[in-house]
Amino acid sequence: MSNDLKALVEALIFVSQEPVTLADLQTVLEGVPAEEIQAAVDALVRDGEADGRGVHVIRAGGGWLFATKPAHDREVRKLLQIERKNRLSSAGLETLAAIAYRQPVTQSEISAIRGVDSTGALKTLLEKKLIKIVGRKKAPGNPLIYRTSDEFLLYLGLDSLDGLPSEAEIAKILEQERAAET
Amino acid sequence: MSDPSPEILPTGDDASAALTAFEAPADGYQVRLDVFEGPLDLLLFLIRKKKIDIHDIPIAAITRDYLGYLERKTEINLDREAEFVFIAALLIYIKSQMLLPRETDLAESEDPRRVLVDRLVEYEKVKAACSILREREDVQILQWKRDFIPPLSGEGPLEPVELSLFDLAESFFRMMKRREADDTRVIRGREVPIEVKMKEMVTLLQERHVLDFLEYFDSIGSLEEALVSFFCLLELIKSRVAVAVQDELFQTIRVWLRKDPHRTVAHEQ
Repeated sequence: MSNDLKALVEALIFVSQEPVTLADLQTVLEGVPAEEIQAAVDALVRDGEADGRGVHVIRAGGGWLFATKPAHDREVRKLLQIERKNRLSSAGLETLAAIAYRQPVTQSEISAIRGVDSTGALKTLLEKKLIKIVGRKKAPGNPLIYRTSDEFLLYLGLDSLDGLPSEAEIAKILEQERAAET
Repeated sequence: MSDPSPEILPTGDDASAALTAFEAPADGYQVRLDVFEGPLDLLLFLIRKKKIDIHDIPIAAITRDYLGYLERKTEINLDREAEFVFIAALLIYIKSQMLLPRETDLAESEDPRRVLVDRLVEYEKVKAACSILREREDVQILQWKRDFIPPLSGEGPLEPVELSLFDLAESFFRMMKRREADDTRVIRGREVPIEVKMKEMVTLLQERHVLDFLEYFDSIGSLEEALVSFFCLLELIKSRVAVAVQDELFQTIRVWLRKDPHRTVAHEQ
């Protein structure tokens, strides 16, 4: 893998406002084998994780993008003059998780999983663009159908929906919680 | 819960706060239902407190605890009330089913508790997934990516949001309402083809750089033309020629061209 290729890939990821996929890079770098591009990206990711670097290349939403490191949050916000990002409320996160696992899903299905009305949480998630309306269900009342958005993946730093906590991970958490109680 | 820090796991923290309140002396019960996300959350809490196997819930005992908890609440919120009462009714129903004498033992699939257990197990999983997702969120919200829109000159403290179709539609209905109010005359609009209007808008955007869409919309004489201008805006955004920004929902929409000559040229051809 040449250093030129690494520099080129870095430039491409830098200028892009959306995650750059391997396919994007292949289109631009005609003729360069995918393995070489992948190796260049891997090297970039490694470089970014080194101490003394303020930005790193992260994998999210199916591609790579630059992000500042968590340690520099306060100063970055000071420069951009923006408030701390608020975490989602428990209701919001629960609703989001229910949608992520059960999508495509309607409001009443989400509310049934949570045991509480979820319309308020849905509105907030729509405003935050973490979910989207993808149509109406062919059922009585034609309820709206919801899915998670691409922003959702970026928001949680997930590469794809496959990156959601697996059954095994969830089982482990539950086991730990039970163990903690006894 | 690998990291029991209350900051990272607010639900765990809520539960322990509730535990403290729950075990307070009987004269000073200050238990508030809103520490729980809902009736299932409360049930899970009660089940865990008693260290019960979720698949073999002693329904009578849990129903008693649950109802006792509901009686202690001080404030009434009808929506929340209904959700808690619904589960109470379900518990009582299951309890009554359990009391019925049966000639033969029930198969597992016929257990009256099954419907509740399935829901609890599912909800418990969602909650566990949430604790993992929360940890991810906490790391991610501290990392800044290049996906924000550069601030405009004279930009206030509000963070601009790029509009989705959803927001645009909301604003559109709002604008239409406004027009409805003052539009008492019947105006015979001239026919305005979308293409013509779109060219007009692009030219205007090139001249003015930023366009206050609400002002523009209101300044248009006929309803038809105003409608067409809205469709044009949608089309321009869809084809990524223009960017629309709204500081807050229902406020005005500011529109400007994307600084991408290729796209603009391609569009004008």
